[in-house]
Order: sequence, then C-alpha cells, then structure tokens
Amino acid sequence: MTATSPDVLVIGGGSTGVGIARDAAMRGFDVTLVEKGNLTHGTTGRMHGLLHSGGRYAVSDQASARECIEENMILRDIAAHCVEDTGGLFVKRPEDSAEYYQRKLEGLVECSIPATELTAQEARAREPFLARDIDKAIEVPDAAIDPFRLCVANAKSAQDHGARIETFSEVTDLLVEDGEIVGAEITHESGAGKRVHGTEGTVEEIHVDHVVNAAGAWTGEIAAMADIDVEVRPSKGVMTIMNVRQVDTVINRCQPKGDADIVVPHETTAILGTTDEEVGDPADYPEEQWEVDLMIEELAKLVPILEDARTIRSFWGVRPLYEPPETGTDDPTDITREFFLLDHDERDAFPGMTTIVGGKLTTYRLMAEQLVDHLAGKFGLDSTSRTAEEPLPGSEDESVLDEAMDDFGLRSPVAKRSAERLGSRTADVLDTDEPNPVVCGCEAVTRAEVADAIEQSGTDLNAVRIRTRAGMGNCQGGFCSHRLANELHPEFDEGQARAALDELYQERWKGQRHALWGKQLSQAMITYAMHALTMNRDRDPATSEDAPDFGAFDAGPASTPGAAEDGESADGATGVVTDGSGGDRRGD
Amino acid sequence: MSDTESRDSREVEQSDTEDGYEPRDIFGTTTEMDLRSGADNCTKVGTCDAECPVAEVDDDFPGPQFQGPEQWRLSSKGDVEIDDSVTKCSNCLRCDSGCPSGVPFSEMHNTARAKYVLEDQPLSIKKIRNRILANYRTSAWLASKLPRTANFFMNNGIVRWLMEKTMKIPSEREFPEFATQTFREWWAERGGEATSKERAQEARAQRGDAPVHSDEKRVAYFHGCYSNYNTTQVAKSMVRAYESLGYEITVPKQKCSGTPMFANGRVDDARRHAKVNVEHLGDAIEDGYDVICTCSSCSLALRQEYPDLFDLDGIDELAAHTYDALEYLRIHEDLEAELEGATVDAPDVAYHAPCHSRNQGLGRQAVELFADVDGVAVTDVGDSCSGISGTYGWKAEKYETSMAIGEEMFEHMEAVDAETGMTECPTCAMQMEHGTGYEIMHPIEVLETALT
Repeated sequence: MTATSPDVLVIGGGSTGVGIARDAAMRGFDVTLVEKGNLTHGTTGRMHGLLHSGGRYAVSDQASARECIEENMILRDIAAHCVEDTGGLFVKRPEDSAEYYQRKLEGLVECSIPATELTAQEARAREPFLARDIDKAIEVPDAAIDPFRLCVANAKSAQDHGARIETFSEVTDLLVEDGEIVGAEITHESGAGKRVHGTEGTVEEIHVDHVVNAAGAWTGEIAAMADIDVEVRPSKGVMTIMNVRQVDTVINRCQPKGDADIVVPHETTAILGTTDEEVGDPADYPEEQWEVDLMIEELAKLVPILEDARTIRSFWGVRPLYEPPETGTDDPTDITREFFLLDHDERDAFPGMTTIVGGKLTTYRLMAEQLVDHLAGKFGLDSTSRTAEEPLPGSEDESVLDEAMDDFGLRSPVAKRSAERLGSRTADVLDTDEPNPVVCGCEAVTRAEVADAIEQSGTDLNAVRIRTRAGMGNCQGGFCSHRLANELHPEFDEGQARAALDELYQERWKGQRHALWGKQLSQAMITYAMHALTMNRDRDPATSEDAPDFGAFDAGPASTPGAAEDGESADGATGVVTDGSGGDRRGD
Repeated sequence: MSDTESRDSREVEQSDTEDGYEPRDIFGTTTEMDLRSGADNCTKVGTCDAECPVAEVDDDFPGPQFQGPEQWRLSSKGDVEIDDSVTKCSNCLRCDSGCPSGVPFSEMHNTARAKYVLEDQPLSIKKIRNRILANYRTSAWLASKLPRTANFFMNNGIVRWLMEKTMKIPSEREFPEFATQTFREWWAERGGEATSKERAQEARAQRGDAPVHSDEKRVAYFHGCYSNYNTTQVAKSMVRAYESLGYEITVPKQKCSGTPMFANGRVDDARRHAKVNVEHLGDAIEDGYDVICTCSSCSLALRQEYPDLFDLDGIDELAAHTYDALEYLRIHEDLEAELEGATVDAPDVAYHAPCHSRNQGLGRQAVELFADVDGVAVTDVGDSCSGISGTYGWKAEKYETSMAIGEEMFEHMEAVDAETGMTECPTCAMQMEHGTGYEIMHPIEVLETALT
C-alpha cells in the first residue's frame, strides 16, 4: 500500500463487510475490518444458504429480483466452490392460488429469470419425495451457497490484497473529533491478530479516513455511538436443519408470502425455513419450539417424508431490515429487501461514516461494489470494481473438481467432499506426508484440512468449524469436538485447547436443544454420556482450583495391599497382579 | 401361526406409509437407491464397527459405519461415489443385526456394492472370477453333468495351481465334492410330490394326531444350489424328517437364491434368478404352501434381501412365508414332545451358529432343540464368525483375512469335547472342516435320526 492510500475501517464481518473489505482492498484502500465475533457471527451465519434466482421477488419486488439473477450468475463464476447448482422449484399445491402462480410465471419472464413449467409428474420424477398431490411447478435457477466459505474466501482475498481482518474485536466507541467520525475504539477479546484463548484482551484506537458501518442487525447500535439515528427493524426467522437431504433441489412453495415455505439442500443436510417476526433486540429474543414445529408441519405438505425425518438442530437468524424513517410499514414481511446506503454527511451532516443496511446475501457483492464506488468517489480512487470478474480464493480453477483428481490417499467420498470445500486449494491443503486421518466422520474432514483452518483462525474451533464443516453432521461434534481440540496441541497448551473445546461444545449444544426428540435425543444422550461420564467433563478436577480429594477414592482391591496403601505413588510400581498360574482362561 | 400373523400386520403397516420411507430409485438405475435417509438412524456408537469381523483383523478396512451410514449420507444425487473398500466387506451382516438403532446396513452394503461393481469397478481377472464365483450354480450345474471327473479335476494339484495363478482362487481350499446324483434327480426318481404325499399321509395315519387328508401340512422346499449339487444328504434328511411328521413336500422350480451374487455386487444376476424363484415359489404359496430352506443364507436372501432390493410382484408375500427348516418345525410342531425320550446315535458336536442364522434370530435354535436329547451333546462354540462368508474366503486376496477371522472359531471348536462340527450354513461348514479337519453335520441330519 502506498502512503497515500485512504484508510477505511469496516465494521462487521458478515457477507457485506467482507465483501466491502475485499472490493476496497482491491481498489487500493488500506482496509481494516473488525468483527465482534467470528466471521459470519451475525445474520450471515444464520441464513438458509439460498442463492436466490430472484424468483422469490419476481412478483412483489422486481428490482430485487433482477439484482438477484444478475448476482446469482456472477457468484456461480467467482465463488464456484461455495455454490452448488441445485436448481429450484416453485411448487403449487391444489389450495395455492392459481392466479398467483400465473403472476409468478409472468414476473419471472419480466425479470429475465429463466423459468420452465413442470407438470406434477415431471417435478416428482426430479424430486421423488415431493407430495403426491401437488399441482405443478416452475423450475428456476436457484442454488445453494455456503455463506461461511463465501465469507472466509472474501476475507482471505481481502487479506491477500493487504487488508487487516480482526475477529473477536468489538467496536466499543466511535471516535469523534470536531463533528467528524475519525475512527473507533476496538476491544480485542484476546489481543490483536488471530484469536488465541487465554490471551489477555486489549483496547486499540483505530484512526481512519472513513468508517463503514456494515454491522447488520447491530447497525443502529453502532450509529448510536455517535448519536446518529438509524432505525434497523430486526426480524427473526427460524431455520431447522435435517440430518440428510430429502431433496436435491431448492423447493419453494408458490405462494405470495408465508412462513415455512422453503427447503434448501445444503451440503449433507437440508435446511427448512423460515418465519418473519419483528424483534426488539437482535441479540436477545425468544427461540420457541412452536416455530420449529411449524416448519416441519407446513413443509411436510410439500415433502411429506420430513414429518418423520431426523432434525439435528434449529437456529434463528435476524434480518437487518431497514426502511427510510417515513415509510412506517407494519408487517415486517412487507418491509423491502432492498439495501440502503446512508452517507451520514449528506443525511445527518455528520461526516466520516457511511452505513450500508438491508439487502441480502445474494446481493452482497453488488452492495459492496456500490459502497466502494461511493467511497472511491469521495477519495478520488479507481472507480472500477473487479469483484465481478476476479474469482475468490478457492475458485480460481474450476477444473479441479471436474478432472479425475488425485485422492491424496483418502477414501473416495472423503476426497470428493474435501475437494468440494477446498476448491482450487485442494492440493495445497491435502497433499501432506503426515498421516491424514478423518477427524470428523459425519462430514468427512481430515486432519490436514483442520490444520489449515487452525492456521487461519488460531484456537477458535468455531472458526475451524465454519471453514471445514467439522462438527456439523449428525453427532453435532459429539465424536469430533475433542479430536478437533486435540489438533490444537502442541502449538497451543492444554488449557487453551480445553477452553476452545468447551466453547465449541456449547455452541453445538445451543442449536441441538431444539431438536431433542427421536434419534437426535438419543444422539445427545450418547454425547452426554461420553463427555460427562467417560471424559469426566462435567466435573473435571482439572478445571477446578482445588486439588482433588484423593482420600475420597477407595483403596482398591484388598488383595493388592501394596497398591491399596500407595495408590498414587509416583515410583512407577503398579497394582497390576499378573496371574502366572495360567488358571482357568476360557475363550468364551 | 402367530408368527405369520405378525409378519402380515407388518406388511400392512408398510403399505400404509405410502408417502414414503421405502428407498426410492432416484439415482436413475435400480442399483442406486436413495438410502441417505437410512443414515438418520445412526447415532455413531460404533457397535457395527465392533461387531465387524473384517475390521477386527484388517486395519485397512474402514468398517461398516463408514461403509453404511456415513458413506450414504455423504453421497449426493447423480454423483454417488462408492469407495473401493466396499469389496472388503464379507456381507456377514453382523453390523445389520448388531446395530441398536436400525440402520439398514444390509440394504446399504448391497446397494453400494452393486453400484461399485456394475458401474465403477474396472474390468480385471478378479472381477471376472467374482462373477464366476457369484454364479456358483452355473459351475455346479456343469460339474453335476460329470461329477466324478469334476471331483477329480477340481482338487487336482496342477489344476488348482493354475486356478490360483490365473483366477486367484486360493489353492489351500478343498473344492466341495459334487454328488453323483443331484437332490433333484433323487427326488424325481423317488416319485416327487406324489410319493411325498403318500408318505406324509402314511405318517399322519400312523401318528393319528392329524387328519390323513390335510391341506395344512404342506411345505415347498427351497434347496438352493449346495444341497442340490453337493450336500444332498442334508436335503434328503429334511425330506424324511418332514415326511415323518406328516408334511407333504413340493420342490418347485428354482434358481440360485442370489446370496453369492449380492456378496459380489451382481444384483443384475441376482435379480434374474430372483424372478424365477419369486414366480415359482409364489405359485406354491398361492396353493397354500409355506417355503422352507435348509441353508441359512438362502432363507435370509428370500426373507430380507429380496424385499430390500427388488420390486417384484409377490416378493413381500414370499418374504413373509419363508422359514428356516428347523425354525418352521419349532413353530408348528411340539418338537420337544416329539424328541422326548429319543436317543440318537450321533457324535457329539461343536456347533457354530452362522452369522446369517443369527441375523434371523436363529442363533440358538440347534442348541436349544437338542439340549434334552440323549446321545448327542451340542456345544455352542460362541459368537465368532467363521470368516468364509460364502465366496469371500474363495478369493486368494481374501484367504488370509478369512482364516484370521476363523481362527477364534477353530480354537473354540478344538477346545470342545467333540470331534464333529455342526452348522446350518454350507460354506461355514466348509470353513469349519478346512480349519479343523472335522466332519460337519447339519442339524436337520441329527433331527432326522432322532425322529425316524
């Protein structure tokens, strides 16, 4: 970076923030991005993974629909390793409005979204688990996208272009001088740089030429630090994850609007969504079981097998909806999905900060482009974004997946899944001389891939999880969280590994609480039995300050007097008695 | 008939779930079904891996948890990638019976193997050999034309050396002897169904416990290949034992049950044979017959693998009406009363329960049946697997594994105070004989001595 590069601080490590960081860094800005959790901590990490074709908005919001189809096509190119071309169907049930179906069809044509009508038979031939009584369906180019991989790749690209990315670094104040925002006070949970458990927190003041507020649902809180009023209207939605994919195509219900109207095949799972309900505080709202029940009940009308299929967890996300103050929409489902760029100099006569709010993941790149265009105008820099052409790290060479690739000594489904996640980085990561066992069996993640993730993210095992999918399968970390923690050693010490393990375990438990019936209940009980009882993790003396009360143990078998009295002696003598008599040893 | 009733009610339940949990042929061919939802049952406790005899002796085998639920869950539509380690699975199905939460292992392994063999496996000598082994019936049929010559050549040192070199058939194994007269030839010569009816009626008249003319006591015998071409004495014992209890027997037209074909991924061959079996056994069932087998793998195929893998008219009916020969008598006759006071002239035996018997819940039937019979002591040698698993132990590259698995059984057999073995499965018998040199009997042979 040259000395003249303008400094920009981007607040928020969601898709919008990392997209801006990448675009700005590519255009010559000196970028620092701060995120209070790990990347995707907010709404980005809590979405259903749909890459919109725009079909959803083809009737109600055609401007958004057109943006979606354009961005959809761009992301298939630049983020190939994050996108799965599943295709999508809008399915009409007999009770759904025929008029709306017709309007949908027309809207799709108007927005240049490729659409094909399918008979019920054709739709069921494609997706055999669709309900027998559906009327018909429209095929659209919906796709599945992994928001985690997408954000990590954007952040990595930004870093490659000189940006500094700080996670677990919360903005605790905005710095204001002479009526202008000049930077922010950042509290690093474990110091600057990669997160390492047990490292003492630090506070840093970052002075920049411009601040970008891309804090999603927390946008209002950030603005309020400078007494600026941005009223975000957070709206929660539940998503329920099924253990396996019941469908391999995105299934939308063809209705004007409604809760529980989409199933998205996502990696090994299927995600059911969602609801739309305004909440007061984006960090504190009720997560209720009836919302989960509603997902399954409603979506079973499209895919009946869901009724008895295994659910592995549910999670809630908060949409950072925004509308200009005078609009006053009552129903959150009617609030626009468009995004807004608020230059606080123009809007509030408060220079030094621009806010970007609203929008959706599918259009994250376009939002970033427009925001950086705005900044470039302000600072007189290169005004051409290259993010629509330049592939993200991992997507540089699409042929990797198509060619008969080296399996790096891995079993074929493991090699295949690894390559899908790593894209063009596959060989760099997997080509190792070290033993490379599978660490997470559910998602086929090997030690080499975990090591690569640890290198990127320090001791933060949730960051390892979002990079690799380790811990996201049916046992929800029951059988792999401790193996993942073990991979932190010896680079990090036992206490750090333990803290990282607890954090991952808690995070996995949080979502599983909403899936505790049937097989997932059995799974949770097994996980509990293993971790609490076998590994003693519910009351591990190592986590306590006090020395264990060895006197509370019994003296052991009376027949081994030496061991009974000297149970904890350190002289290496054991209490094992060998039976030299060759007594009654029977094979059965 | 309570057992039959419960099977019937299960059938009704199945047809109720129309919208679907039955595997769907979504991947485009009959060998690729969507078994991903079967992974919903897995809680990853690893009982399957602990039960797996191959994993126990071969560290390179990833085990059934990977082969089954993990691999299926990781697969995606149109792009199912089956790891080649599936060929190391011996299809003993101990994972299937051991799983505490009902993962459909048998279906998963059979489907994966078929997919691998029919679509992914490159052509090789081994692949050709596997198909020949899978179609044992064809070789046996040929050999039965000139049984003495076949017996001479098949165990001739030079021939076997050549077979090992060219076909990878281990020269250590002794080929089973072909009977000079097949069971079907014997049956026809004896007068077939008509004679059986006569003898059953005679027995009924003598016993006086049932009407002489009865439509109740009728069984259709599925002899399979082995007791037709090789151990015909087992089939004959079955005939005499059943007739002595008043059963009329029919021996419908039949082909291979498909067991060796499933184990070698040849569901295409198995399906052809199954079609014939379902048709002809189905006719017998319609006429009021139940189907009995003396080979535990045959009964398993008809009962479990057929409805799992094929969608043929009458296949569920056949599954519901098929029984193991001993099991059937234990259900319908008071065998304990029949055997009370009986003394048999048979050697004491070391009994091995075949994995495929265990899978049908029949692992203890022989021990229980003969517990109070004088003259024969039956000692169970424990729950180890014999290791041969049909054609598995007949492959040069699997021979060592097969013998390593069998080691525990051999030791236990030798520890028992008996010089003869007993089992229901013909290839387990082969392995038992190979490992100990004992002569091996089928429980039906002992039963025949006790009853007649």
